[in-house]
Amino acid sequence: MYDVLIIGSGITGACISREMSKYQAKTIIIEKENDVAQKATLANSAIVHSGHDPIPGTLKAKFNILGNRMYKQMSEELDIPLMECGGLVVATTLEEEKTLDMLYARAFENGLKKSEVKLLTKDEVKEKEPNISDHVTKALSLPSTSVTYPLEAAIANIENAMNNGVELATNEEVISIVKNKEHFEVFTKRNKYEAKVVINASGINAENISKMIAKTNFTISPRKGEYYVLDKDVTLVNSVIYPTPSEKGKGVLVTPQYHGNTLLGPTSEFVENDTESTTKKGLDYIKVNIEKTVTNIPYNKIIRSFAGSRPTPSTKDFIIEESNIKGFINVAGIESPGLTAAPAIARYVVEGIVANNIDLVENKNFNPYRKKVIRMNELSDEEKNELYKRDSRFANIICRCESITEGEIIEAIHRNCGATTVTGVKNRVRAGAGRCQGGFCQPEVLKILARELKIDPMEVLYSKKDSAILKAKTKGE
Amino acid sequence: MKNYDVVIIGGGSAGLAAALEVNKNGVKNILVIERDQELGGILLQCIHNGFGLKVFKEELTGPEYAERFVNMLKEEGIEFKLNSMVTKINKDKTVEYANSDEGFIQIQAKAIIITTGCYERNAGAISIPGNRPSGVLTAGTAQKYLNIDGYLVGKKVFILGSGDIGLIMARRMTLEGAEVIGVAEILPFSGGLQRNIVQCLEDYNIPLYLSHTVTEIIGKDKIEGIKVQKVDNFVPVPNTEMEFEVDALLLSVGLIPENGISEAAGIELHPRTKGPIVNESYQTNIEGVFACGNALHVHDLVDFVTTESRKAGEKAAKYVKGEYKDNVERINLVAKNGISYIVPQMVSSENVDKTIELFMRVTDVYKNVEFVIKQDGKELKRIKKKHLAPAEMEKVILTKSQIEGANKEITIEVEAL
Ligand SMILES: Cc1cc2nc3c(=O)[nH]c(=O)nc-3n(C[C@H](O)[C@H](O)[C@H](O)COP(=O)(O)OP(=O)(O)OC[C@H]3O[C@@H](n4cnc5c(N)ncnc54)[C@H](O)[C@@H]3O)c2cc1C
Ligand SMILES: Cc1cc2nc3c(=O)[nH]c(=O)nc-3n(C[C@H](O)[C@H](O)[C@H](O)COP(=O)(O)OP(=O)(O)OC[C@H]3O[C@@H](n4cnc5c(N)ncnc54)[C@H](O)[C@@H]3O)c2cc1C
Repeated sequence: MYDVLIIGSGITGACISREMSKYQAKTIIIEKENDVAQKATLANSAIVHSGHDPIPGTLKAKFNILGNRMYKQMSEELDIPLMECGGLVVATTLEEEKTLDMLYARAFENGLKKSEVKLLTKDEVKEKEPNISDHVTKALSLPSTSVTYPLEAAIANIENAMNNGVELATNEEVISIVKNKEHFEVFTKRNKYEAKVVINASGINAENISKMIAKTNFTISPRKGEYYVLDKDVTLVNSVIYPTPSEKGKGVLVTPQYHGNTLLGPTSEFVENDTESTTKKGLDYIKVNIEKTVTNIPYNKIIRSFAGSRPTPSTKDFIIEESNIKGFINVAGIESPGLTAAPAIARYVVEGIVANNIDLVENKNFNPYRKKVIRMNELSDEEKNELYKRDSRFANIICRCESITEGEIIEAIHRNCGATTVTGVKNRVRAGAGRCQGGFCQPEVLKILARELKIDPMEVLYSKKDSAILKAKTKGE
Repeated sequence: MKNYDVVIIGGGSAGLAAALEVNKNGVKNILVIERDQELGGILLQCIHNGFGLKVFKEELTGPEYAERFVNMLKEEGIEFKLNSMVTKINKDKTVEYANSDEGFIQIQAKAIIITTGCYERNAGAISIPGNRPSGVLTAGTAQKYLNIDGYLVGKKVFILGSGDIGLIMARRMTLEGAEVIGVAEILPFSGGLQRNIVQCLEDYNIPLYLSHTVTEIIGKDKIEGIKVQKVDNFVPVPNTEMEFEVDALLLSVGLIPENGISEAAGIELHPRTKGPIVNESYQTNIEGVFACGNALHVHDLVDFVTTESRKAGEKAAKYVKGEYKDNVERINLVAKNGISYIVPQMVSSENVDKTIELFMRVTDVYKNVEFVIKQDGKELKRIKKKHLAPAEMEKVILTKSQIEGANKEITIEVEAL
């Protein structure tokens, strides 16, 4: 019997799991995919928003500001990338300038400090951002905006939670939930789990999961966002460039990423089930709209495109509450700024809702720290050779483009919440994330996975279930 | 820090030929660094025939061609390191590499030859809309899985792009029992050699769809199908869609010289070749750093790689011996109408013995045309060409005196007969 069962391993479930691991409770995360955080948390802008944008008084506004304030400590404790690059909302017309003034006032209303909001003239913007479009007339500067690496943020939270006793079950899709007198029975396709408290953090699936057991008066609609990715050697902007928002949303941004790439996007389109594929229409929309704010875009440096879907709630605000069924908690409709808000949401869910259901006793052994996988190319020569002496595989470079060694790949596989697929390796240590996109190292990574996981090479997956790379042996074998 | 006269980065056909030539020219303190577990480079996975017609006057497989050079290297006692990745070269000609026998090592060279080969353009660079499921691979990666590791990546395969690797894989996979449904090429002509179209597609009844491209990838987690559409000037033509069920899509959409470490060292690249800009001696803008083979510009014939690399090796040896003149006047070799690029990009007659070979590619398919070569705008000579295609590298030989006759530039262009 678990005290708490969390459905979903996105950033919301991940932060809740770590928050739970501060207490002596038996907690498990149930995830339907074969790796954690493969939905909204994998495919977004990665921005830790300042909190200037949500409508005052909403949960979005409240948890955005709180979350933004928590990120620095979380990133230090968990060794999560955080690039404090700031953000600029830029206006190109008189009308947009008016909206900027409104946002300026709203930022204070939402609780930003004086030092966290500033209006800039055209010249000031140009000086900060040489590639800004000449159409830009004014900007709102938001220095507390930063950029993280969302997948690592989720992995780090779960890994740390697991180091502190939380369990994780992947490849487990929840298909029904029933409540017996005292506890819940959560059924997956393969197993039954029993828990006193169930937390629904299942992203775009949250409406369906909620309906399995509780009265549900909200709907969740996937709203897709598509992106282009520019190569690492392009420095287009120094900070996050937001257009002035309109009723359609935050608009198409230019966002520098922690690993050096630049994102162009997202779009915003309600979709039925086609939630992760890019479309010609969407990608064209980006090209047309991006030029309004930024120029000199090197389209020949596009290295890929991707899409993710926001779990947009009918209520227009986060839904964070215990349902009519005691102990069943919905954390639903966590669209933007959900990545930013997650640590604050998690604390509130645990201290404000879970605590009313079970007794939370402090876990005295809780260790808040987690170190990221060693990155050889960030170390000095001495440190490199030090590691090499410990394990010679730290000098066997597998991925040429990103200089990733066999040692790093093995570590990414064997840690808690470790990689089990080629994409899992790439997402954790960037082997195959460079120019050649794994052209050279994928066969090597595949061999390492097979050896370390003790499986046949033909069983090694590219990413999702059923995505084996090798289909048959050759006739000669 | 260990010292070497010449350090060669990459032990493919370019690196091997260059090393042997350095040695032949009397410079013996050489090191070849190769990241793979064997010398030979891309040749090792090209188990088909067709190598060495010019250099050895016989048809060899890739591994056989490589073996001849590897044997010569061993006979000459030239030092090489395997499983060793070069991570950095510096302007002072120090070279950094790593392997699990020695750790992270720095060495000092007098001259460096970059022969790191090329990598394949991939799915990202062509951004086909749709999901990013498994089963979309570059043809070269699929070739490595097949010829080195012994596995097929698909049983129902479509190939996008008519580059040589794709064509060769079409035949190879067919022979291994896979069904190759077709090859689509966005251009109105093939990106591969004519002989490969005949021997790899036509002989096996595999259709080649010219002026067609893949406009959609179907399948969420793994590829299930593709949509192929006719294009007019790169724009998909409505109502020409064909849908195919596939379990793998191989991309053979071009090769790009691998210059990660050269760029980081400040070596200037040419926008067309994507390889270093070099002079007649195959020296880059950094004195004492040379480049040849696929790292310099993409080759389709290994014989050209070998001749080019021998030249580069000879010049690097001369540089070490102090016989190479860097501070001399150079004229530019300029690609004009119909020519995509010329390598080298500049030349000084002082470092040319009798003649110099210029390698180039044309921008389009041409029939019955002439190469017109001009010195400072004044016509020098014409060479008749029956057939030209971007897929086939062309060679023009100039004499020392022809170079001396120009003050500023020599241009080459294509003119209809
Ligand atoms: C295009 C885009 C851009 C964005 N940009 C930003 C930004 O810049 N800044 C920001 O703060 N926020 C941003 N967001 C919002 C942010 O990404 C999300 O709020 C956040 O990732 C939501 O996390 P989550 O854990 O709630 O959901 P998800 O990450 O979607 O996780 C839900 C998990 O539940 C699992 N699951 C679903 N059903 C089941 C089941 N039946 N059984 C078991 N498991 C199940 C899923 O597989 C998934 O792993 C953006 C979102 C999008 C789509
Ligand atoms: C698939 C394919 C089929 C071909 N078919 C034919 C044919 O039928 N007939 C024909 O004549 N020609 C053919 N060619 C052309 C010709 O064989 C090649 O152009 C030639 O072999 C390239 O040699 P190279 O040494 O420049 O590059 P490569 O052979 O690629 O060698 C580069 C070497 O450098 C190493 N390296 C790279 N980076 C580093 C680093 N940082 N540190 C250490 N080592 C490094 C690589 O591991 C590799 O071994 C074919 C080419 C290809 C790609």
